Amino acid sequence: MKKVFSLLFTAGILLTACKKEKTSSTGVSMDPVDTTAALKYRAAFDNGGYGTTTGIAKIYSKAGAYSLVLDSFSVSTGPDLHVYLSKEMQPINFIDVGLLKTTSGRQVYNINGMPDFMEYKYALIHCQQYNHLFGSAKFY
Amino acid sequence: MKKYILLIPILFSTAFSFGQNKASGKINQFTDLAGAVGSSRGTVALSYVHNWKLGKKQKWEAGLGARLTTAFGTKQEHTTAPARLARGTTVPFVIVFAEQKTENWDTLTVQRPLVNSINISANFGYNFSQQWSAGFNIDLIGFTFGRKTSAILTSNGVTQTESVAKPASFNALLTGDLDYGNLNSEFFIKYKLNNRWSIRGIYQFYFSEYKTTTIKQIAPDGTEVDRFRQKGNNFGAGISYNF
Repeated sequence: MKKVFSLLFTAGILLTACKKEKTSSTGVSMDPVDTTAALKYRAAFDNGGYGTTTGIAKIYSKAGAYSLVLDSFSVSTGPDLHVYLSKEMQPINFIDVGLLKTTSGRQVYNINGMPDFMEYKYALIHCQQYNHLFGSAKFY
Repeated sequence: MKKYILLIPILFSTAFSFGQNKASGKINQFTDLAGAVGSSRGTVALSYVHNWKLGKKQKWEAGLGARLTTAFGTKQEHTTAPARLARGTTVPFVIVFAEQKTENWDTLTVQRPLVNSINISANFGYNFSQQWSAGFNIDLIGFTFGRKTSAILTSNGVTQTESVAKPASFNALLTGDLDYGNLNSEFFIKYKLNNRWSIRGIYQFYFSEYKTTTIKQIAPDGTEVDRFRQKGNNFGAGISYNF
């Protein structure tokens, strides 16, 4: 009977422990920026209540497509950090640009669609799983 | 919460008060601990079952039980729950086979679901031999308590944060998308190790329901929707102790 219990316990641990949590890399990224793209908006990050966030968010436009560049960027490590374009400083209405690639350096994200940056005037670093705002930047 | 706690002994006494005077050979009475996992989610269920053996050879059995199921996970997608929006018909039983009206569905991604549901269950089984049997069980009615968590509502490409999504508190099996709340059901095969202990291999179909509190889906007919459901397929194992 002990063997059965041990087997079930081990199987349970293995089955529940095999999912890797989504986290951003802690390496320094240096994504290249397309020098022919036009800089449309920029904003400096402020802390959002959790961790520390510094750097510049920039919106570039080229051939009818937007991209978001996080430059000289640094953020505290956290689980499930996402990059949002948001209508509000808190992510109530937002576009999820993607999982944050790394916690520091320069990184480029392609933006799907053509959001109106008069509406989506914030770039946010948000811990999606725990609903914690790490940083916000308001475009101008 | 108090009223739910008061309901627990009522549910259990209802489930176990039948047939106490039957000859023990005609009754299969056991408790069971089961675990199941799916995609980024899992369940642990503790149940008590009181089955009556049926038929001349007494190979069939059916009965009632009570089950506590704890379900947990991360980033679990729930879709629009009300039957009139989710399916082509709301006729009980027929709804199970009705077309899915996916054009009405929005998605609520519940970030850290954790729900505990206590339900009365219906249980059915067939004994192939002294060692092997198979069966099916399904939750009928009960209640749920659990963790409030944030969620993301995606509606026609627009994403919004729901800061307080909460588990639906009332559970009822009404067939298919007419169901309410959190309901566990299992198909299983069972192997008897000895007179007391058995092990089970389980395919689990688990209904989970979360409700939004601050934002709502605006359905195509203009109504507001706060109920979102997930139908999860999980696989697992269990161990039973016969009384």
